[in-house]
Amino acid sequence: MGLKNISRRKFLAQTGCAAMGSTTLFSSLANLSLVNKLIGTASTPPSDYKALVCILLAGGNDSFNMLMPHGNDEYADYAATRSDLAIPQGDLLNLNYTAPNGKIFGAHPSMGGVQQMFEAGELAYISNVGTLIEPIANSTEYFSGLKNLPLGLFSHSDQIQQWQTAIPQSREAIGWGGRMADIVKTMNTNQGISMNISLSGRNVFQSGNTVLEYSISNQGNGVEGIEKINQWKSDSGLINNIRTEAVSDMATHMYANIFKQTLGELTDQSMESLEVFQNALSSVPPFATNFSDHYLSQNLKMVARTIGAKDDLGMKRQTFFMTIGGWDHHNELLANQEFLLAVVSNAIKEFFDALKEVGLENDVTLFTVSDFARTLTSNGKGSDHAWGGNSIVAGGAVNGKKIYGDYPDLYLSGNDLIINGRGNLIPTTSADEYFAELALWFGVSPSDLHLILPNITNFYSPGGSAPLGFLL
Amino acid sequence: MNKRTFTNFKLICFFVLGLISFLPITLLSQNPVILGSGNTGGMNVTTSDSQGSNTGDQTIDGLGLLPNMSASSRFLQQATLGADLETIEAMTDKSYSQWIEEQFALPRGLDIEQYTKDLTEFVLDSSYSNGGDPNNVRPRLYYWHTAWWQYTMTEADVLRNRIALALSEIFVVSELPELDDVPLSLANYYDMLLDNSFGNFRQLLEDVTFHPAMGVYLTHVNNPKSDTSLNRFPDENYAREVMQLFTIGLYELNDDGTQKLDSLGKPIPTYDNDDIAEFAKVFTGLTYGDAFLFGQDPQGHLSFTVPMIMKDFWHNPGQKALLNGFTIPNRNPIDGIADISDALDNLFNHPNVGPFIARKLIQRLVTSNPTPAYIGRVTNAFNNNGSGVRGDMKAVIKAILLDEEARDCAMVDDPFAGMLREPITRYTQLCRAFNAFSNAGTFRNDMDDFHKLVFQRPLASPSVFNFFQPDYQPIGPIDDADMFAPEFQITNSVTILGYANRLHDWIMKTNQVMEYRDFFSGEQNDSDRYVNLELTDELNLEEVSEIGELIERLNIILVAGQMTDTTRNILTQALESIPEDEWEIRVRMAIWLVMISPDYLILR
Repeated sequence: MGLKNISRRKFLAQTGCAAMGSTTLFSSLANLSLVNKLIGTASTPPSDYKALVCILLAGGNDSFNMLMPHGNDEYADYAATRSDLAIPQGDLLNLNYTAPNGKIFGAHPSMGGVQQMFEAGELAYISNVGTLIEPIANSTEYFSGLKNLPLGLFSHSDQIQQWQTAIPQSREAIGWGGRMADIVKTMNTNQGISMNISLSGRNVFQSGNTVLEYSISNQGNGVEGIEKINQWKSDSGLINNIRTEAVSDMATHMYANIFKQTLGELTDQSMESLEVFQNALSSVPPFATNFSDHYLSQNLKMVARTIGAKDDLGMKRQTFFMTIGGWDHHNELLANQEFLLAVVSNAIKEFFDALKEVGLENDVTLFTVSDFARTLTSNGKGSDHAWGGNSIVAGGAVNGKKIYGDYPDLYLSGNDLIINGRGNLIPTTSADEYFAELALWFGVSPSDLHLILPNITNFYSPGGSAPLGFLL
Repeated sequence: MNKRTFTNFKLICFFVLGLISFLPITLLSQNPVILGSGNTGGMNVTTSDSQGSNTGDQTIDGLGLLPNMSASSRFLQQATLGADLETIEAMTDKSYSQWIEEQFALPRGLDIEQYTKDLTEFVLDSSYSNGGDPNNVRPRLYYWHTAWWQYTMTEADVLRNRIALALSEIFVVSELPELDDVPLSLANYYDMLLDNSFGNFRQLLEDVTFHPAMGVYLTHVNNPKSDTSLNRFPDENYAREVMQLFTIGLYELNDDGTQKLDSLGKPIPTYDNDDIAEFAKVFTGLTYGDAFLFGQDPQGHLSFTVPMIMKDFWHNPGQKALLNGFTIPNRNPIDGIADISDALDNLFNHPNVGPFIARKLIQRLVTSNPTPAYIGRVTNAFNNNGSGVRGDMKAVIKAILLDEEARDCAMVDDPFAGMLREPITRYTQLCRAFNAFSNAGTFRNDMDDFHKLVFQRPLASPSVFNFFQPDYQPIGPIDDADMFAPEFQITNSVTILGYANRLHDWIMKTNQVMEYRDFFSGEQNDSDRYVNLELTDELNLEEVSEIGELIERLNIILVAGQMTDTTRNILTQALESIPEDEWEIRVRMAIWLVMISPDYLILR
């Protein structure tokens, strides 16, 4: 009856679009308005091409089951804390890396592709990274009332938003990818198509003050034009022209009503970019790499094709965004996460295999974010919402085969990074440091970094050595 | 529509069009303020006649002061999933409150779960007779979609169905990630929403809490009590979301929906993580309603259609400190059901519920940015229906739909007023406005392409945060004005063109307005089940001189008489450019253009 499967497989959001909305109930930080002033300041057109690809694992990946301690003592702590959620030590995939403190680690058994890339030096992990306004050293500081804490800790809507805005003290509509695009978009010769391209529709990460994402799908050439009318007896060319003109007239009219005006602008932008995009994509030769059927792989295939069309599109800098949902594993964690991690691992490997075919693997850096990691302890079926967790960064530019940030101890009792009995870890690396490294690699100057990441100076002095070192 | 009402319409059109020659066309779209808006606006009117004084209600909203066609259409677009011209006309014969009372009195329409079951049985029997494999037969996801369309296209209790759809976007469960395997559960959940649409919010909250679809979706089914020796703690998922999304939200609210502020001017959180942990203890011990053991796997489809039951041994014992100083006592013996009842009372009586739910429902039905005063009036109705009852949905619905902010036609010309119609209501409006029909009387529609490209169908949100969130602000003039527009969260280059192309499929390419799925081999291409629009009246207008009448007709039916001169001129020019012998394409092009026009898509 198909019921067997109810709690096994599955993976949320075939349609993506889990990016969360936002409010500006609180005033924006003062220096954000500076971004507007920079707009129009022409950057020197660079000779190189660079792309950032963000995969949002929506729902909160239980990432202490994605990257695990492998040494006997640390594994014993892991197993005791995670109880029925622990993955057997013998199943972990070896990672040939020893941390400065002598610890060793294993990858989730379903992430063979990721392990291969790690071993090849093309992939790294960032450990115990999370949303922070300022450093929180331990649980005493957390409970002191003296530290600024992110709004809505452990809540999906706030945390998924803060990973995209990098401003945990308020609810913002503008994302750090959007603010970055506001500054660097002039590097592209074509301003007709947004440098921020989304496979998952509207999202906060790519929304800037002057830049909005351009949404594409993984079908056809990424965007669907309005179908032609061809079954009428009179000249269908004439009928189509009449219609196109009417649509254009309605979209470009200046409406007094702000809702109509917003909709008209969106419609106009969608229509305007259409043909250029379709033509550019249709000229990209097919890849030999075989992409899996899962939509994440198909999304990354479309990204690879779009990157392949960068010259026709007039692009020097691009960001790509996509969501894969289904990570909120309060239930059936082990089986569901195993499935999803395999999907992610295969998709990343396929993506870079395809980019190698066209020699662009060093120009593209892929990174994962997620709402939060999950409680180390079990609820009997899965785990609940927590805070700091582990992320993946991949690409030819990555100083791979390393784990950046401090992988925390996972025992509960006496662990001063843990803020309650459930095993919620305080992040020891801020999302800002993670993002700063990506932004600097992308071409943002150290002096502009605080415009994109307003809290960065609480963690890092721009202009100094690399924030974490995984790209620089 | 029959010939008689069509004639009536012609008369009305004649009257309306007659005016055009004398008056500026804008008068058509600037509807006069309709009397009748005052009866809920705190307006006290006393009249006296030979029998003495009358109440304001009877005076202002009484028969004889009839709403006009545009105002009727506008009302029906807020209160239903679409109406044809006949219905709009009939509405002009009665007051809004009278119509609402009639709707309240109508019996529930078809049982969606039963329809889904009957369809499964029909498929089984037919499959057996036609040489198919009966072992392949089970309730399919698209059977439930078909049942939903059957309800939407045939049942008279249209207000109930509109409210249920709104509730389904607040109390979100979804086919994703796994309930698509048990469509009977989704059907049963929607039945539950329909049953509670005119009921009391407290009962709705309880039925949602105990529903196995919610138990699966927010994982409080088979949620065991704490066991510290195993480092095992109660699942916090439902505990968090029932507060954040279903009842009170993140911050303390005034009755008008504005945030309360502390002495430093900061908003006051309604709960913290400790509160979540306490509520999580409350929602332990529930298992499937047909299970005899806690933790037992579901036994079949029906496990997902009966309310969950409590196994007290698996319920966290002891006190639970909830909100506003209330503590659940240490019950001995353990009584999980009583604990849940206490917790739901604690939430239901929280002063946030009125303004929180009022804003969400107003955003679904009327406008994206209700004023605090509007929210406050609906909160008052939530808090007290006039007879001392809290949570009376009928009172809330009347307060929303009869409010001056919903009814006053001046809002139509307010540059900051309006809401983007959500995609599914555009689809239902097209089908209902033009009386979509099939010869077989069925409405088989899985909405697969629609869902893929437009990101919406009932009970298919990508997360518990719905297809879009109440506080979404698209950049541009809406964000600049610090206003909200939830539906824009699923409006982008993919969905804009996806919607235009689905409309193209339905109107321009074929005559079939629903995505037909054959249920078994013997039914393939059963043209009796194709769903077509009834455009006879529009096609009967066939002179070029009648283009204006066609446009006005669509203006009334689809745009509630709010079409701007700009759109009217663009349409007229486009239609006049089409060769004279192609009236049908004029009609179809007109509908297509109207339905992608900002005038239509922004409901005001």
